[in-house]
Amino acid sequence: MGENVQTIPGGAQPHKDRTLNRQVRTLRVKMVLLGSSGVGKSSLAVRFAKNEFRDTSPTVGCAFLTQVVHVSDASLRFEIWDTAGQEKYHSVTPLYYRGAHAALLVYDISKRETFIRAQLWLKELEKHYIPGSTVIFLIGNKGDLAWDRQVSVQEGQNLAHEKGLSFIETSALSGDQVNELLLDVGKIQNILKVPLDGSRHQTEYLTVNRINAHFSLMYWISGVKK
Amino acid sequence: MMSQRSERRGIHLDQSELLCKKGCGYYGNTAWQGLCSKCWREENQRERQKQIQEDWALAERLQREEEEAYASRHQRAQSQPTITPFSKFEERKTKEKSSKVNTVTKFFTPSAKTPPKKDTTSFDTQSSPSPSSSSSRHPPADTDHATREFIDFLKPLKSGREIFKQCRAFTESMVYKRDMGADELSECVQDFYQNLSDRLQTQFKGSTEHVESVMDEVEKYMMTRLYKEVFCPETTDDEKKDLAIQKRIRALHWVTIEMLCVPVDEEIPEVSDSVVKAITDVIEMDSKRVPKDKLACITRCSKHIFNAIKISKKEAASADDFLPTLIYIVLKANPPRLQSNIQYITRFCNPSRLMTGEDGYYFTNLCCAVAFIEKLDGQSLNLSPEEFELYMSGQASPHWPQGAGASSPGSAALSQVHKRLDLLTGLGERQDRVIEKARQLESDLIDWTDEVEQKVQSVLESFPQETHNPTATTASGTTSAAASAIDSDNVENERLPPPLQPQVFAG
Ligand SMILES: Nc1nc2c(ncn2[C@@H]2O[C@H](COP(=O)(O)OP(=O)(O)O)[C@@H](O)[C@H]2O)c(=O)[nH]1
Ligand SMILES: [Mg+2]
Ligand SMILES: [Zn+2]
Repeated sequence: MGENVQTIPGGAQPHKDRTLNRQVRTLRVKMVLLGSSGVGKSSLAVRFAKNEFRDTSPTVGCAFLTQVVHVSDASLRFEIWDTAGQEKYHSVTPLYYRGAHAALLVYDISKRETFIRAQLWLKELEKHYIPGSTVIFLIGNKGDLAWDRQVSVQEGQNLAHEKGLSFIETSALSGDQVNELLLDVGKIQNILKVPLDGSRHQTEYLTVNRINAHFSLMYWISGVKK
Repeated sequence: MMSQRSERRGIHLDQSELLCKKGCGYYGNTAWQGLCSKCWREENQRERQKQIQEDWALAERLQREEEEAYASRHQRAQSQPTITPFSKFEERKTKEKSSKVNTVTKFFTPSAKTPPKKDTTSFDTQSSPSPSSSSSRHPPADTDHATREFIDFLKPLKSGREIFKQCRAFTESMVYKRDMGADELSECVQDFYQNLSDRLQTQFKGSTEHVESVMDEVEKYMMTRLYKEVFCPETTDDEKKDLAIQKRIRALHWVTIEMLCVPVDEEIPEVSDSVVKAITDVIEMDSKRVPKDKLACITRCSKHIFNAIKISKKEAASADDFLPTLIYIVLKANPPRLQSNIQYITRFCNPSRLMTGEDGYYFTNLCCAVAFIEKLDGQSLNLSPEEFELYMSGQASPHWPQGAGASSPGSAALSQVHKRLDLLTGLGERQDRVIEKARQLESDLIDWTDEVEQKVQSVLESFPQETHNPTATTASGTTSAAASAIDSDNVENERLPPPLQPQVFAG
């Protein structure tokens, strides 16, 4: 799956001029997209990685995508994990967001039901939440459909505030606020206790207890409902 | 004791048969090969002790051989330096820290302990591809091969020798931890990975790529050697889980593409080709030893799935399409030792590779697919609980619904079955025709032989008895003619000069 380099206006710097003598740190950032079917998760993934709209570029795969962004003295290598939105797969999705730096919980501002569902998702996320490990972003997508809005900006903000999440309204169609979101996610290195240093021992080299938790979770999941 | 035993004789079976075979007086147990628990433990201890000694001997021999190999390889490395991504990097670092280099480079200098003559001999075996050195080794060839590759990889590294020593020592030590629980084994290995990568991190000044590529080789070397010990160990219920999921998948044989909403059209040859390849790859996972290689199988399987979806839908797959298709592939493949493989990868792979990266994404999807299959119910297939139960119990099948009026997913299957039935009837008719023709042929043959016989009979009858003999003589006449021809050859041979006689020469 392709990887292109993008520079975010206002905040990102081309790395060539500053880092000739210094090694550029590559920071890996895993983002997981969560939310009901049809809210625009896959479209957001394609917008992040290719800066294109999915409907007009049907050949771009959108399950696993990467995007490298240069910010000051580091390169952020975003990994975008799309998930199956169908209801029946909800119980297995906790497996996806283990080890994620950011979980993007998406709803469609023109469909109230997806906002309600997002709140159910949050409850589920809280169950497996490891403090200091994953930052949750609440995202109201399809911001271009403001004329058909069923969820107000205020409602989204309130929910985010109540749960201590970051909040942003985006449009995968127009690309509005998508880069801002990426930058916000990139900033989580200041929020996370574990710095997003590319080194394994600091971020990704998760302790054994943690992976065991990951896979005992798998058995917990398979035990659920039966 | 003795009197007691004879008293009981006649009522019970001979008590000596129940007693420990060592004659210690305690009762024995068939589970302990007729010994009592104490004697069995002693006996077992002796066995284990022997095993440990053998292992040590093997370890020592390997160590010697590897050190020789290392020393000789190092010589070669010095004479013709290999260009690797590290060499430049190392060069720069050498300039930076010349004092420290001295202590580390001594690992690379052939040590005084190793006689130089030995070095040259092993160097010779190295330069010629003769398998003489490997034939004397007991461990399997692939293990040996892994060691060689590992050494080759580490050769240009400043601390390569040290890394190798540590990995080897750790791997040998793991062999003596067989009885440890799987989680503890995993913890040991993961701790080792972490400590080593921490040290490499400082050494490479935070260059993650370098650390990762070394760690990949470390994992490959160690897991190739430890595979047999730590894959599906007896201390776990991995095997039980393997059998459970296998049985479950078999019980779900009736699940159709439509029920799972899989967006692939297997009527398209290229799609069904990709489906077959995906199935093959996920099955192949079991044959790999190194966790990373197993992950590569899952990734290849996933790529074939993406291809199948892309061709069917004429657009790239999203996660919504991918997961159901992977579930379908797993159901069709019923991969061997599925749970053991997932557990093994989880326990012994670099954790970062499972939770991040493309391989990690597909592995996570496979775990999701397995979790989904385990808890799958009627609802997740758009079936009523009753239908689901009927199909699971085998009382009904979506291909042969109980009622005549089939439900929508069933009717598609039903029409397919009808098509197949038509085909079968057609085949039956053709077979009948073939049989008919064969019978015809048979009777024709019989008629023909009868006819021939009749003709021969009539010919025989039309000739008198005397003419019967001349026919016989004509026949024998031709043979005698042939014989005389051979004779005449012989006659001609007589015209040849007589055979040479042995002569005595004066000289
Ligand atoms: N107007 C508008 N439509 C969008 C936007 N994002 C996605 N869509 C449309 O919403 C539908 C579902 O999008 P998709 O990315 O498949 O959603 P997913 O199921 O969450 O992955 C598609 O028809 C998209 O064209 C957006 O920002 N604005
Ligand atoms: Mg999607
Ligand atoms: Zn005994």
